[in-house]
Amino acid sequence: MADIKEKFPNLIENAAVAVLYLDRNGSVLYCNKKIESLIGCSRTEIINKNWLEVLFKNSGNIMKKEMFRAVMEDSMVYKRAKDFQCNIQDSSGVERFISWSVTPILNKNNQTIEESAIIGHDITEIEERENSVKNFDDSLKNIFSSIKEYALYVINLDGNITYFGMGSESMFGWNKSDIIFKHVKVLHDIGGDPSNLTFILEQVRVFGKYETETELITKNKEVIPVILSVNHFLDANGKLAGYIFIAKDMTERKKLEYQIFQAEKLVALGQLSAGMAHEINNPLFVISGRLEMLKQEKFSPKIKDNLLLIESQADRIRKLVERILKFARKSTPVLEPINVNEALEQVLPLIQYNKLPAAKIEVRKEFEKNMAQIKGDLHQLQEVFLNILINAHQSMPGGGVIKIVTSNFENLYAQIQIIDSGVGIPPHSLKDIFMPFFSTKNEGTGLGLSICYNIIKSHNGTIEVESQVNKGSTFTIKLPFI
Amino acid sequence: MLYKILIVDDEPPVRELFEDLFRSENCSSISCATGEEALEYVKKEKFDVVLLDIKLPDMNGLEVLKNIRDIHKTLPVVMITGFGYDEELIAKSKQFGCSGYIGKNMPVAQIIATFKQIVKVAKEKGCKC
Repeated sequence: MADIKEKFPNLIENAAVAVLYLDRNGSVLYCNKKIESLIGCSRTEIINKNWLEVLFKNSGNIMKKEMFRAVMEDSMVYKRAKDFQCNIQDSSGVERFISWSVTPILNKNNQTIEESAIIGHDITEIEERENSVKNFDDSLKNIFSSIKEYALYVINLDGNITYFGMGSESMFGWNKSDIIFKHVKVLHDIGGDPSNLTFILEQVRVFGKYETETELITKNKEVIPVILSVNHFLDANGKLAGYIFIAKDMTERKKLEYQIFQAEKLVALGQLSAGMAHEINNPLFVISGRLEMLKQEKFSPKIKDNLLLIESQADRIRKLVERILKFARKSTPVLEPINVNEALEQVLPLIQYNKLPAAKIEVRKEFEKNMAQIKGDLHQLQEVFLNILINAHQSMPGGGVIKIVTSNFENLYAQIQIIDSGVGIPPHSLKDIFMPFFSTKNEGTGLGLSICYNIIKSHNGTIEVESQVNKGSTFTIKLPFI
Repeated sequence: MLYKILIVDDEPPVRELFEDLFRSENCSSISCATGEEALEYVKKEKFDVVLLDIKLPDMNGLEVLKNIRDIHKTLPVVMITGFGYDEELIAKSKQFGCSGYIGKNMPVAQIIATFKQIVKVAKEKGCKC
């Protein structure tokens, strides 16, 4: 024991931790070698100086200095050791991160404080190591959270979810904590039919892995199309412990495929319509021509009336064929720089020339002031605007408001929105709204919006519709800037 | 007789209608159904104007027009089509030297009036037929 007591000062002197011993006023009575090397001063420059002035000799951080002072006072008041972590600068200006411990030294009765000791453990290297691990974790987390279209989850042999990571939360809308240990059928049970899941797991059991195109279900009961890849999940001993699911969200892809399918269908319909219109025009021309000649002859009033009726009906066919040809025709747009605001302004007065219900309709314009120009065919685009505006009018037999909003969309597109407060379009009709011969109006030919669709496509733009029954419809057109 | 007209259309009812219509307008006409026949007629007979359908069984009306131009630089040729008002067809027809263009979808009275106007302008331009 006596031996240790002799060795003790030497041990402290050469310790890897920094040690300061202070009197009750905070002046340094003793410091070890580590303090000298840390601060870059010799012992004679340190002894009898205020401890804070010594430690913060190279640092300008007054905040940290005052906090450290408060920690020291705290430890004196409560007569207890206190820990404090703060960085100070060493003699070469490098920040050292140090974990400090302040210990008041009490008199024999444990009543008053006579002196105090400060021990500092340099944890700079440990901190750096932890930081780099933390940074790596953070960047991994960032990478995973940015892969939005993939979800990875694992189930155990009972079918309960044991891991719910990498995009799963954003894809399914479930919080990790809410779904862990729930049965995986909450994601797979579409319309109460779990046979799909049973089949998939059976395939994996037999073949080791299985990939399929299927649908999964979110927390809000939305169905998402996915490509699902399922594999064995083995434990550390190579024993089957469950199954790994990787789901790739195909919603965007499906949407694109549907658009391409629609576009192709329109092209085919266009060709068919052109051929059909031509075949109708020839006999119709003969009918109309013969009628015209008959009209020159003398007939009884009854026959004359019948001739007029035939003529008006033939004229109706003629006009319909004209519309069909217009839809079918792939007329190349004559491109010129256009300001969509001006194009819209020119169209507005034209609405009144189209026989429209005399309901009270207010048109509100919200035009982007700094609208860049697009390249387009003015007449074709005005036909589109007019068509949608007339539809909007007709959807509000009891009057209402048409809002026309233009804006710069991501500085790439001129966005034109025509918003009405009309009867709206039922959900089952929405997907067919741009198809030729589809109409919700009694006397519509169903060609207006399909012509609009073709025109906007030929301008490399997009046209979309959102609608709520009895609330109104919003048509959104985007046309690329020059 | 006002004009002597060659009608080229593969559909008999259309040809017959044109014949009757022109007769009532005091014009005489000869009609045929194919491009080949039309070229034969143009070579051996004199016409004031040719009414030429774009869709023919043996060759495209535009091709026939081109061949007529090799024979007659200035003979007025009016193109007719069931495709109606088609900018692309009109542009091509003009390029090959047609005098005018009529869509069969126009009202009949308008077709006759347009036809007569086209021939009048072509004649005034100094077409030697």
